[in-house]
Formats: sequence, C-alpha cells, structure tokens
Amino acid sequence: MSSDYEISDDENYSYEEEEEEDEMEVEDYDDGSASEIEVDGIGDDFKVPGGSERKVYEVDYMSLSQPDVEKIMATDVNYISGIFGVEPAVAAQLLRHMNWNKEKLTDKYMDNASQVSVAAGVDLPPREPTPPPPKASSSRQSSTGPTRTARRSVAETSKTSKSTKRVASPAAGVQSFVCPICFDDSQTETMALMCEHRFCSSCWKEYITSKVRTEAECTITCMAEDCNIVALDPFVKKALTDDMETWERYQELLVRQFVSCIPHLKFCPYPSCTNTVSCVSAATKSSLLTMVPIVACSIPTHVFCFGCPIDADHRPVICAVAKMWLQKCRDDSETANWIKSNTKECSKCQSTIEKNGGCNHMTCKKCKYEFCWVCMGPWSEHGTSWYSCNRYDEKASVDARDAQARSRASLERYLHYYNRWANHEQSAKLSMELYAKTEKKMEEMQITSELTWIQVQFMKKAVDVVFKCRMTLKWTYAMAYYLSLGNEKELFEDNQRDLERAVEELSELIEAPIDPETIMALRQKVTDKTVYVQKRNEIMLEDTAKGYLDGRWSWNATVDGL
Amino acid sequence: MSGICRARLAEERKQWRKDHPFGFYAKPTKAPDGSMNLLEWEVGIPGKAGTPWEGGVYKLVMIFPEDYPSKPPKCKFTPPLFHPNVYPSGTVCLSILDEEKSWKPAITIKQVLLGIQELLNDPNVNDPAQSDAYTMFKNDKAAYERRVKQQARDHIPK
Repeated sequence: MSSDYEISDDENYSYEEEEEEDEMEVEDYDDGSASEIEVDGIGDDFKVPGGSERKVYEVDYMSLSQPDVEKIMATDVNYISGIFGVEPAVAAQLLRHMNWNKEKLTDKYMDNASQVSVAAGVDLPPREPTPPPPKASSSRQSSTGPTRTARRSVAETSKTSKSTKRVASPAAGVQSFVCPICFDDSQTETMALMCEHRFCSSCWKEYITSKVRTEAECTITCMAEDCNIVALDPFVKKALTDDMETWERYQELLVRQFVSCIPHLKFCPYPSCTNTVSCVSAATKSSLLTMVPIVACSIPTHVFCFGCPIDADHRPVICAVAKMWLQKCRDDSETANWIKSNTKECSKCQSTIEKNGGCNHMTCKKCKYEFCWVCMGPWSEHGTSWYSCNRYDEKASVDARDAQARSRASLERYLHYYNRWANHEQSAKLSMELYAKTEKKMEEMQITSELTWIQVQFMKKAVDVVFKCRMTLKWTYAMAYYLSLGNEKELFEDNQRDLERAVEELSELIEAPIDPETIMALRQKVTDKTVYVQKRNEIMLEDTAKGYLDGRWSWNATVDGL
Repeated sequence: MSGICRARLAEERKQWRKDHPFGFYAKPTKAPDGSMNLLEWEVGIPGKAGTPWEGGVYKLVMIFPEDYPSKPPKCKFTPPLFHPNVYPSGTVCLSILDEEKSWKPAITIKQVLLGIQELLNDPNVNDPAQSDAYTMFKNDKAAYERRVKQQARDHIPK
C-alpha cells in the first residue's frame, strides 16, 4: 500500500474486517425478497454467481434461460386459469393484456369479467349495442356501410361450416369457400377465431408471419376489419405448423413482453441472446441510488447494467451520475464553454470574435466597429492613451473578465476529468492489440525459458486485470467530476490515485522486453503486481459501494432521484 | 408471397369493375411497355355532395407493397392536398392505412377509398400531418372553408 496518509489505510483495513458482516446483512435481505418471485420449483437450474463470496459492490442476481422464464409465466397462467376457470391460453392473453399484473387483473375481472375479456380480445362484444367496439383514438373508419357488407358475407360463408364451429378449429372441406383475403377458391384449409371470420390457412400464416417477423408483435388480432379478437397461442401455433422458426420467434416475443412487464427482470441486451436476468434488489428506482447492479446472463461476457441502458460495467458510478456524465460528454455544453472563455462578442453587431494576436485595437471584420479588446468600449474614447487601456477597472469590464475566468476554469476542470476518462477508454480499446502482443510474448517465453504453457498464463491474466481496472478508473473520473469538494472526495481520489499508479506500473511490466535471464523474476513481479492491482481495485469498488450505503457521497450537481 | 399480393389485386380489380361507388375511379397504372402494373393504382375520389369538397375529384396514387395485404397500401394525393391529415408529400395519414393501428388484410380498396372520402370533410385534429391546413382549420374555419372550396374548383375533372 503506497498511501502516504494514515486515515485511508486504516479505513481500508476496517472495511475488509467488516466485509463478512455486511455480506450477511445483504444476503438476508435478498433471501427475504427472493421468496416473492415464485421460482422455488426451478431453483436448482439457476446459476448464482459469486455465491457466498459476494462482495459489497456486487449484486445478487440470477440468469434465467428462456425455458426458465416460460416456466414462471406458466405458473402465473395456471394460477389465473385456475381461479377464473378459463383455458390457459385465454388466461395468458388476459395476463398479457394487463401487463402481467395479477392483482389488477383479478380485481378488474371480478368486477366485470366480460368487459375485461372484450378489451383483452378474448371475447366478442355484447350483441345489443350496434356500434362496434371502441375505436382507437385516432381512428377514422370508413363508412360503416362496406364494413357491414363484409361482415355479412363472411358470416354467410361460415354458416356452411357450422358443424365444425369451435374456437380456433380448422374447417376443412368447406364447399365453394372463397377466402376474402386472397380470393382463392381452391383453398381447402380454412381457420377462424371465435368471431368466425373465416380465412384460408395460408393467408393466416402470411399475416401472422408478417406481424411476428416485421413488426415484432405478439398480440395478433383477427384479419377482419374492426375485429379485435386476438389469436391465442394454440391458434398461432397451428397457423405456423410448418414454420417452426417463426413460432420460436413468437415465443421469444411472448417472453420479452413478460420480462418487460416485471420490474425485477431484464432481457439480456446482447444481440440474439434470449437469456433473462432476475435481480430483485435492483428492481426499484430508489435502490439504484445506492448500488450499481452490474450483472451478466449465463454467458459470462454478456455483462450489462441492470439499472440503465449502459451495456458495460460502469462501477463505481451509480446509473444516474453515469448518465449525466455521458450526457455531458455528448452535448456541446463544453463547446459553448470554450466559446465563452476564448472569444468575445462585438458590442455593436454581436459577432463572435477570437483574438489570435496583435494589439488591443480591434476592428470588427463584419461591421467595422472599432473597440478595445480589454474594456470592450469604443476605441475613439481611448484618446491619447492608445495601446494601453486605462479603463481597465471599470465595473462592467471587471465583471466580464470574471465571467470569462469562471467559464475558463469550468472548462479546464471538465477537461481535466474528461482527458483522464478518455485516456483510460483509449487504453482499454488498445487492449485487443495488447492481447495479441501478449500472446506472442507468451509463445516467446515458452521457447526461451523452461516455462510451460500453463506457467505463462500469468501474462494473460495481467492483461485482463489491467483492462478491468482501466474500466473502473475510467468511471472514477466521471464520479470525481460530480463529487462535492471535501474530505470524502479527497479519500476517494487517494484510492483512485493508488489504483491508477498500480495499474500503470503493471502496464509497464507487461510491455517490458523479455530477457531469458530475468524471466523468472519478471514472472514473480507481474504475478505480485497483478494481485496487488486486483486488491486496489477491490478496495476502490468496496469503498465507493459502502459510501453509497452510508450516504457518504455528496454531489455537486442535482442527481436524478435524489 | 407475391402470389397472394398479385392475385388479390387482380381480384380487387375484377370486383371494382363489377361494382364501385359512384364518382370514384381506380385502375392499375400502365408500365412503359404497355403492361399493367398491379402494384400501383391511379384513383380518383370525389368530394361528398353537400360539403365544401363537392365538385372536385381528388387524384391519388395507391402503392401496394409486396407483402400486401399483410401490409397496407400507401396512399398519396398527387398533387399534395390541402388537408390537415395529408402530409406535405401528399401521403394520407389514416388509421386504417397504418399497419400498427387499424389496418386489417380484409379491408378492400373500396373500403379504403370510402374511408379517405369520409376523412376529407371530417379531419382528425389529433393527428395533424401538415401545418398549413391544420392551423387554418383550428383558427379560422371560414378561411379554411374558402380555401377548400377553391381547391374543389381547381379539381373539377375536365
């Protein structure tokens, strides 16, 4: 430990001692809430990373595969199906309609079952009132005339198939059926939902495929105009019998819809990954102010933040502050700051002027106004004291100079943090190159020394650690930018400095040339340093995580949610 | 896939020739070589009697995507029309023409055209598509009506 002050060291040690106790607390909490998410039956399938070794800066979560989530969905569906006495497919659609809020659904259903069923598209609207179901807000339907005609013709067609009238039943062998979609009268396979709007199977397939594939839509309504009856899962499955790929996509969409409704579930954001992560402790917005829920699905490289859309490890900064920082880096507030600190406006035509040399006698290129750069007053008033402005102390010009100094300072402050942030990001990006170089170096070592393949792995490990710590360091600069001045910030920056120094030293060791004479010593040094860097990184993360829990950090800007 | 699209359009054409609402016309365009292009139709919608739109026949192009009727046709007034729900490009903003709103494969060309005719004198203020017509409709109904009547005179078929 290279700290040259006592407090920090003492504190760091005391954290390590308290670690165990803390873990217990957090775990108790997690166990308590985990019981709410009805996963007991399949608990054995879950991989719980970390287990009892979980650090205070880590979060308890589990990765669920698509079948796991489907099992949870099935539990809800069976529950609703049981108490409402409806088919599971109907229960599933009712739940989907209510965004999987069982309590709300039960309340509303008990209150007015038919209203909920009609709204969810699982039942026909009552016959008596003639106007069709409520239109969408912006709907401008064509006159009801043609609609009725269409309805009638469909109804007539379906009469012929009365004998086979059943929900989602195919009516094969209907005589002289002309599908109102494709007008093909040679189709023998037809299907209709409970509304009995009958169409040929190939049109259904076409329509459902288009909805699922191009619109990512999992609520598919009947093809007839103004009909809100929803195609339930068995019907969709039947229509997609010979297109398993689309059926699988449909199932994925169902899972995605479910996951998006449940606060403690999040779909893995990595492309074409279908895993879900469950993280109960990060399910509320307020919890995100005291933790950084970095999770990964069962694929270890799929690391993402459970609390925000940043798909990388942004520890130790909490989501709201990370978002603020990224926003600041993106927008042009600092461009404006640069303009403010390096330019002045012509007091006559307001053109922006940058002085890049010469004397204080300015002539605006645009309006030809002559003025003094120092006091911004007209040059004519300078009389005999040309080239030395004696109006320097006038209040307005002092204010102007102060404002300029302030924005210059603010720009410098931002750049200080931004440059370090960007530097770590850049270095991390170069890690791919470093990987290649290291591979070569490892081969070299195997040739020039007695070391075996397994013994040269220390090099790869060191690169990994450097990369990881650079990521931590990168985000510490975003955090430091927003930390209020004070003792806490100083301690934070001491930890940051220790980690940074250690990382730079390790980086240097990795890059060092290999000498067969000293390779054993190098190996020892790199291994030691790697362990030390890891330790420093842990201290950094642990200290910030504990700081959040203790409410130790105060910010110099308004943080969303605080 | 294009099987359904063309077969359906051919049938729509047949049905239309057999029977269509008074004052309307709708026909597939001709390609330069004289063959019929079923995916692009030229249509005319008359303004309803008793409305300021009366007298005019408004020209539209209907462009059908390859996955019609799973997806709706695009309807575009040529030239663009002065109307709150018509984009400056001429495209009509109507829920039955939006696949994410009320479009259904069972909706026929006839229904679409009747729907657009209905929209002419009954604009939807919740979905403005151009500012000229929308602001005038909101702020100065009399001026709006004058403008619509002028437009109807400009659209009297020759």
